[in-house]
Amino acid sequence: MVHVYEFMWRVLHVLLHIHRTFITLFRIRLRNWNGQLWSRALAALLVPIALSFPKQKKLVPAPGKRVGRRYRWGADGKSLEKLPDHIGLLIAEEEPRYTDIANLVVWCMAVGISYISVYDNHGVFRRNNSRLMEEILKQQQELLGLEGSKQHSVEFLSNGTDKQDHQVLSCQSVVKVLSPDDGKLRIVQAAQELCRAVEQMEKTAKDINVTVLDSLLRESKTTPDPDLVLKFGPVESTLGFLPWHIRLTEFISLPSHVDVSYEDLFSALQHYASCEQRLGK
Amino acid sequence: MSWIREGELNLIEKLSANILKAGPMPKHVAFIMDGNRRYARKRQVERQEGHTQGFDKLAETLRWCLNLSIHEVTVYAFSIENFKRSKDEVDGLMELAKQKFIRLLEEQDNLEKHGVCIRVLGDLTLLPLDLQQHIARAVVATRTHNKCFLNVCFAYTSRHEIANAVGEMAWGVEQGLIKSSDVSEALLSRCLYSSNSPNPDLLIRTSGEVRLSDFLLWQTSHSCLVFQSVLWPEYSFWNLCDAILQYQLNHRPLQKARDQHREGQALQQHEADRACLADLLQHHGNGKPLDAQRRREALLNYTASREERVQDFLGALQHKRDSFLTDLTSQAALA
Repeated sequence: MVHVYEFMWRVLHVLLHIHRTFITLFRIRLRNWNGQLWSRALAALLVPIALSFPKQKKLVPAPGKRVGRRYRWGADGKSLEKLPDHIGLLIAEEEPRYTDIANLVVWCMAVGISYISVYDNHGVFRRNNSRLMEEILKQQQELLGLEGSKQHSVEFLSNGTDKQDHQVLSCQSVVKVLSPDDGKLRIVQAAQELCRAVEQMEKTAKDINVTVLDSLLRESKTTPDPDLVLKFGPVESTLGFLPWHIRLTEFISLPSHVDVSYEDLFSALQHYASCEQRLGK
Repeated sequence: MSWIREGELNLIEKLSANILKAGPMPKHVAFIMDGNRRYARKRQVERQEGHTQGFDKLAETLRWCLNLSIHEVTVYAFSIENFKRSKDEVDGLMELAKQKFIRLLEEQDNLEKHGVCIRVLGDLTLLPLDLQQHIARAVVATRTHNKCFLNVCFAYTSRHEIANAVGEMAWGVEQGLIKSSDVSEALLSRCLYSSNSPNPDLLIRTSGEVRLSDFLLWQTSHSCLVFQSVLWPEYSFWNLCDAILQYQLNHRPLQKARDQHREGQALQQHEADRACLADLLQHHGNGKPLDAQRRREALLNYTASREERVQDFLGALQHKRDSFLTDLTSQAALA
């Protein structure tokens, strides 16, 4: 009897994988299709089927051109009821594509998001920090043009540097590259610091509370916690992304960062704008 | 039993359960039971009724978990943030909790028969004293049971839990039980309220919200997260199966990520031990550099002594926590 159940389990999972592959292939097909009207109509028809199972907050990307809406990005940002102050881009895929990530960062900047964090759970971006920065600057030129790049300046924060508490200029964005070491390890380091202070009688154990720990873990007084994390890839987990900072973060899943379009990003932002936070009340 | 609904699965449910169980199954599932008030609005009943139905749904879900051989469940019953709600609602929830814990204590024989261990995670000192006493009695009475575990997060937020754990380690340093260099990820995990449980394999949040709301942020860093749009009082066996299916689809990549993280942790600990040893030798050594063999031995000795210190500290911490609960129960007995 056990073998029958095992067999049926395998059949079930094969069907699920076929279903997943079908949806991915369909999305790629739709993207490559140039007939806008046709593809939108088909997408509208097939979206309910694509979304029926599994029941997750995943978004079916609408097909669209990448460039061409450049001048509308800022207006799009202003049209939303709320925009995240700090967005996290969690890449949960094996092979990161730097150009696509750079595009995402530049679109986030153009739409008006002040703080952008990029994360992967292997620390690949951290190790290739300079390559990612170069790619972002390159895409900034390409997507925003020379004038646009002057208007939207970007500041890169690397690990260990303290962000000066000067006023963030309008249209200036801060990009930070994160790895798992910024998560639990950072909390442990803060704990060690506090325990050392207790050892040296500068503090007592009773002095330690949420506020004290939070101030140690805050990048700077002005950096907000991530309001929104966009997760790219099939794995349904935070994979160690900043455990302390994500207590109120909204998580929106997107299938992949490879060939991601501005429309994909914008529909996620629209989704975020409609979330209602009751904060316990 | 009021906390775990009696009953068995029907034929189709049993069949589906058996098929699911042929694959990897989560051993510990966490629930954010969201949607009671929206359910009450939808059904046009009182809010309190929504919460009561939410509790009944919990009892039913625990039954399904046992049928699916899931032996540990953690639920988010009341957040510290929820104290911001209206006095009526908060009082209503405290009263509901009190009634349920009193009922639980009346069913002690059943709890023993099913081997149910109840734990309450959170800052109990924020609750009314009588509720604290009922909770303490329930936890102490079921402490030795080990067939299935129910962890109820009450007056809980993850940040408070982490800050509390850091505070406990600082207390250990103050008492001279551990050194600040002994602080590590593993030690912090063992100072959390949830130290007696493994990390949840699966976290389910109902009602369509896609955030963690300060729940088990440390423990769920590599858990499978499933957000479902159904309101909690309407949760069904099939919703649970759907979530478990998601877990099974994510099982391999998450296992891999977890193993990688564990390897990284072990490496960090090794490096930390080495650094501490080097420091020690510099300050207390006789100036002569050690050969490789002596160095290896010294490192092993250092690691062993650190682990012994940590064990003693954890013993003292457990004793402190147990005493807090037994003090409450003796207060209750005297009252």
